[in-house]
Amino acid sequence: MKFSDPTKDTLTEEQLVKDLQAGEMGSFEQLANLYQKKIYTLSFNLTRNITDSQDVTQEVLLILFRKGHTFQGKSAFSSWVYRITINASYMKLRTRKKEPKVSIEDILPTFNQGGFQYEKIQDWSENTESLLFGNETRDIIQKAVDLLPDKEKVVFILRDVEGLSSEKAGNILEISIPAVKSRLHRARLFLRKKLANYFWEYKTRKESK
Amino acid sequence: MICCKECIELLYSYLEGELSAEMETSLEEHFADCPPCIAFVNTYKATTLLCKNTLKSNDIPDTIKIKLKEFVDKNKPDFL
Ligand SMILES: [Zn+2]
Repeated sequence: MKFSDPTKDTLTEEQLVKDLQAGEMGSFEQLANLYQKKIYTLSFNLTRNITDSQDVTQEVLLILFRKGHTFQGKSAFSSWVYRITINASYMKLRTRKKEPKVSIEDILPTFNQGGFQYEKIQDWSENTESLLFGNETRDIIQKAVDLLPDKEKVVFILRDVEGLSSEKAGNILEISIPAVKSRLHRARLFLRKKLANYFWEYKTRKESK
Repeated sequence: MICCKECIELLYSYLEGELSAEMETSLEEHFADCPPCIAFVNTYKATTLLCKNTLKSNDIPDTIKIKLKEFVDKNKPDFL
């Protein structure tokens, strides 16, 4: 199992911030060890590019080495790390050619005039175990996330992937909590629809064999 | 009776436990009679889980880990 013990992580982080403030030497390596995976993964999920994510990780580590000691408290520190990682990733995206915008509006099932669903909805939630480990499914999921507009994507990653609270995500992105919640809901609806289309095709393909 | 569209709009708040007891009951009464909504709720929840597991499992490639280590060794501040 790869799960880390969250209480242990928190303690280390708190101690580390204190060490940094005290100017302890060894703490820079620890700092890099503790944060580089977080920085790299977040950047990779935003840019989906290995070289860009390496660049971003290095840039952010440099900033941490230079300015990390000025931080009071762990919460401010980790929010700051998320924020500078997101900004550095956006700078990378800015240099790329713009992909055509995907509309996020078409995310709901079809309703009749009374607001009721009349299509048969396939419930694939029970079958995800067997589907999940295929490379094809991984690919589909990453592509679906990549299609999300930036505003929804970053909220989705902070809340659902990184597991941060709405308060913390709002603080990092400097948006209101209701904005976090509505963007997250839209992101989930969008992804659900993309996955539903995929699982539908997958099922049809299997049955036609 | 509350319709599917309203239920789906309120789904986020419902799952977060943010609705009033009264609203919560009306959603649950709707779900009890509406298999498409049940399928919708299940797949909505499964989407979050699938995406989370997939995106969380992106580790740093070994070649990049080596480069990052070199970078840290070269650039870590040296006060002594
Ligand atoms: Zn319904």
